[in-house]
Amino acid sequence: MDNNNEFEPKIVAFVCNWCTYAGADLTGTSRIKYATNVKIVRFPCTGRIDFMLLLKAFAGGADGIIISGCHPNDCHYTSGNFHARRRWITFRHMLEILGVDVRRICFTWVSAAEGAKWADVVNDNVANIRKLGPYKEYTKVAQYFEKEAYNEQD
Amino acid sequence: MSKIGVFICHCGENISATVDCQKVAEEVGKVEGVEFATDYKYMCSDPGQNLIKQAIKEHHLTGVVVGSCSPRMHEPTFRKTCASAGLNPFMCEVANLREQCSWVHEKGESTTEKAISLVKMLVEKVKKDQPLQSIEVPITKKALVIGGGIAGIQAALDIANCGHQVILVEKEPSIGGHMSQLSETFPTLDCSQCILTPRMVEVAQHPNITLYTYAELEKVEGSIGNFDVTIRLKAKSVDFSKCTGCGTCQQKCPQKKIPSEFNAGLGTRTAIYVPFPQAVPNKPVIDKEHCNYYQKGKCKLCSKVCPVGAIEYDKPDEFIKENVGAIVVTTGFNVLNTDFFPEYGYGKYKDVINGLQFERLASASGPTLGEIRRPSDGAIPKKIVFIACCGSRDPAKGIPYCSKICCMYTAKHAMLYQHKVHDGESYIFYMDVRATGKNYEEFVRRAIEEDGVKYVRGRVARVYEKNGKLIVKGADTLLGGQPVEIEADMVVLATAGVSNPGAEQLAQKMHISYDPYYFFSEAHPKLRPVETNTAGIFLAGACQSPKDIPDTVSMASGAAAKVAALFSQKNLVREPVIAVVNRCAPPVFSTCVGCFMCETACPYHAIEREDIKDRKGNVIKTVAKVNPGLCQGCGTCVAFCRSKSIDIQGFSNEEMYSEVVSLLNS
Amino acid sequence: MSKIEEKAVQMLGGDVKTVLGYEKGSKGTRPFFCHTTEDAAKLVYDENASTNLAAYLVKQEIKDEGKIGVCANTITLRAIAQLASENQIDMNSLALFTVLDEGKGDVKDFASVDDINAYLADKPLPDSEKYDNLDKKLEAMTSEERWTFWVNEFSRCIKCYACRAACPLCYCTRCITDVNRPQWINPWPSPMANMEWQVNRVMHMTGRCIGCGACQNACPVGIPIGYLSRKMLVDMSKEFGYIPGQAMKDGNSLSTFKPDDQENFIH
Repeated sequence: MDNNNEFEPKIVAFVCNWCTYAGADLTGTSRIKYATNVKIVRFPCTGRIDFMLLLKAFAGGADGIIISGCHPNDCHYTSGNFHARRRWITFRHMLEILGVDVRRICFTWVSAAEGAKWADVVNDNVANIRKLGPYKEYTKVAQYFEKEAYNEQD
Repeated sequence: MSKIGVFICHCGENISATVDCQKVAEEVGKVEGVEFATDYKYMCSDPGQNLIKQAIKEHHLTGVVVGSCSPRMHEPTFRKTCASAGLNPFMCEVANLREQCSWVHEKGESTTEKAISLVKMLVEKVKKDQPLQSIEVPITKKALVIGGGIAGIQAALDIANCGHQVILVEKEPSIGGHMSQLSETFPTLDCSQCILTPRMVEVAQHPNITLYTYAELEKVEGSIGNFDVTIRLKAKSVDFSKCTGCGTCQQKCPQKKIPSEFNAGLGTRTAIYVPFPQAVPNKPVIDKEHCNYYQKGKCKLCSKVCPVGAIEYDKPDEFIKENVGAIVVTTGFNVLNTDFFPEYGYGKYKDVINGLQFERLASASGPTLGEIRRPSDGAIPKKIVFIACCGSRDPAKGIPYCSKICCMYTAKHAMLYQHKVHDGESYIFYMDVRATGKNYEEFVRRAIEEDGVKYVRGRVARVYEKNGKLIVKGADTLLGGQPVEIEADMVVLATAGVSNPGAEQLAQKMHISYDPYYFFSEAHPKLRPVETNTAGIFLAGACQSPKDIPDTVSMASGAAAKVAALFSQKNLVREPVIAVVNRCAPPVFSTCVGCFMCETACPYHAIEREDIKDRKGNVIKTVAKVNPGLCQGCGTCVAFCRSKSIDIQGFSNEEMYSEVVSLLNS
Repeated sequence: MSKIEEKAVQMLGGDVKTVLGYEKGSKGTRPFFCHTTEDAAKLVYDENASTNLAAYLVKQEIKDEGKIGVCANTITLRAIAQLASENQIDMNSLALFTVLDEGKGDVKDFASVDDINAYLADKPLPDSEKYDNLDKKLEAMTSEERWTFWVNEFSRCIKCYACRAACPLCYCTRCITDVNRPQWINPWPSPMANMEWQVNRVMHMTGRCIGCGACQNACPVGIPIGYLSRKMLVDMSKEFGYIPGQAMKDGNSLSTFKPDDQENFIH
């Protein structure tokens, strides 16, 4: 219960249906507990995840993002995760050049049998983001018109 | 104008113990577009489903969101409910409030808040959902069975007896698998070959079964109902249409000392060979690796003595293509060799053998014609030590699982030894005795009480040779760990059952999953043991995990039943979660510019090119088109498209965008 | 007569309706469509022209004109090769030639993408040092400082989309900013919306960018967007092992993959 002023990170997880979603279900069936801060969005495959969604997530106030799919060679659709991996290598590099805090994005492979690993991924991420704090720099720029931030001198 | 119905399930206490379901229903009920929101104890039950159906009819709902267990569990259930109430089933979404919320969090406000956001997220998705129609795909009523052991034989016979065509592919020159190598089977001590060979002959003679031996799977394309498979028929160097099986070539072949795979290395065979006398088909093939002609260009004696001129050298491997509706994988397993064990001599001691080699010694058609003799000097051993759990249940050796059959076959081996060598002494070093099948426990009791097999509970630390004897140093834990040293004439290791070499490559060819030990993965360990995650590909037998013959035969019949169920439908009804390239009015025709990046990316080659022509037949532009029969719905193409001209039904751009945006705003 | 004029006259006498090249303008050169043999004298060769001729070749109006002759400099050749490998240009509808030694040598014809790739194999990307200073400056900054730098730069963007119009490889008839549903890129010129647009543009260019710098030249407020595309081009070509600026026939760097792509940031 958040009765102290400790910051509760908002983390969105984009996961693939066949491996990580099933793995997260296994975490549930095994009753392993993890933090509530992570909300899962289901995709058929990591190959489906559009990179603009990450930017929309950060703009919407997410402090951290997890992207997870099947291990290489095990994709249910054979190569979706390979394409996703290429895309993330490229996108992550782009974000680094722009100065976006890539420590807040966690890419991982979690298979349908790795229920315990999913719980660890979630808990590690929540602890990590809590240390990094809220992603104020991004949301401030994203809410340029709403909060009239353009009047602030920086 | 959306009218969404929200139904929150308590799932008994599974969800309501940590999530305040009433509050979730109340809060989500306030969202714009939600017409009706309620909670109920068991949504998947009949009264629960009736609640949904009634609400759809009364409130004219255009979409339904159910907050319950994982969609992987009950999405089909709730979709059927909606369909029966007249709402398109694809306008129903399921929020995972159990496995990914109530079961993994403590009771509290944040858990309820999370449940609320998850349901709201799917409400936004449903608002953007489109009604979809299932796709019907014609099914080819022909099955492919890969692997001709007892599992493959059983599955092929069952499917063929339903009236469907079956192709059985086996990589060795004969079908039969490991079961043909066994001497007697537990718990009945039935002669293995006697019960197997009638089945093998049935397969060869069945009008619905096409048997390809000495053949392997080369490539698989397509999807359930329509697999295009390419099979490599390895060059046998013998024309089976002419060969009569007289055996003269094998008698005359000068290369006689090749270790026989069928005899587990204990016997020899010739370069032109039939693996065992009861082989089906009973015609020889030439082993190119050891043949004098293929290696050195000399000899050719077999072609000279063949009375019908059936030998044909230098033929290339043949490739045949078949179209099948379902594939059953029955490729079996292997056992570790003695060289895996440094503490038992690295395979250097000839008299330390594994279970399969013992089977060959005990077998009446084996290298010693059924007499138990030491491989080193042919003497009859007076004392044999059997070591159970060699490699199995040993995380240090990388094999943490139990190989299931070793306790039973070790008891059987000891019994057979005692029956053949009346004054022999047999010791079994064991950790546990797992005799779980029908009549199995009685069998083991018989070994101990009637045949005098001595069971010592403990592990063996070392086996070494001294003065022609094998010194076995172990411990007896039932006597407090007292060291036990036995001077044995022979040691039999019950080595672990492992996957076949090449299992990984085969799995990747067929796009099926496998576990860290390269056993193929079933779709669900409890409820879907004979299916894989790839629709249309089924599993049976030890390729999924080590198992005994009764379980293998049951599983094979189970897989055959699944294939028969598939073939009993006229058409296969597929979920319409597929990609579609947009089309719009002229002069644009489609926002697709025809760069075909999606074509290169698609793992199923489901994207084709379509020429859009004017009335004269001139091509205006070439755009992409998705083949609905091949598309599996991964969505990789959608993420690639720069102009967002291709979208996937069920996980469309609008839907995913609304989901993510709503998740963060709530 | 210059070599170009000779070639153009010869082509116009044959089945070519128009020859596209450059002519002298008031400041440097500008693109020129030569329809008659008399006008052929105006054609000049410019290795460093700021407008890329390939941008015209994807327009429907130009395609409708029939066979077109193109006097291409190196950077136009790169663009044509990339466009041809993406099915946007039919090499058979072009009579493509260049003048060797930056305009001083003989005329060379190209019939296929392979011809162009072979010719370009040893040529470096243009203006390799142009962005070095900026690169060094940004590499020395911390992540937060870089963010502040780019937010500042993007606050000047006015969403004119000149970068999109100038780029030869931006040819979608309906750009995603036109069919902006769902709203991937906010259309108003706030720093975040501008950044989203550039991220999208550069990601769509990855593996296809030829490093021509047309986007940089076109930007009216001088944001270093050419630097972004160029850096991604060079860094990703090193990462994935392809030659930057050269057309790949079976898919580009993003639509293909290698089983051993770098994975060290994945858990």
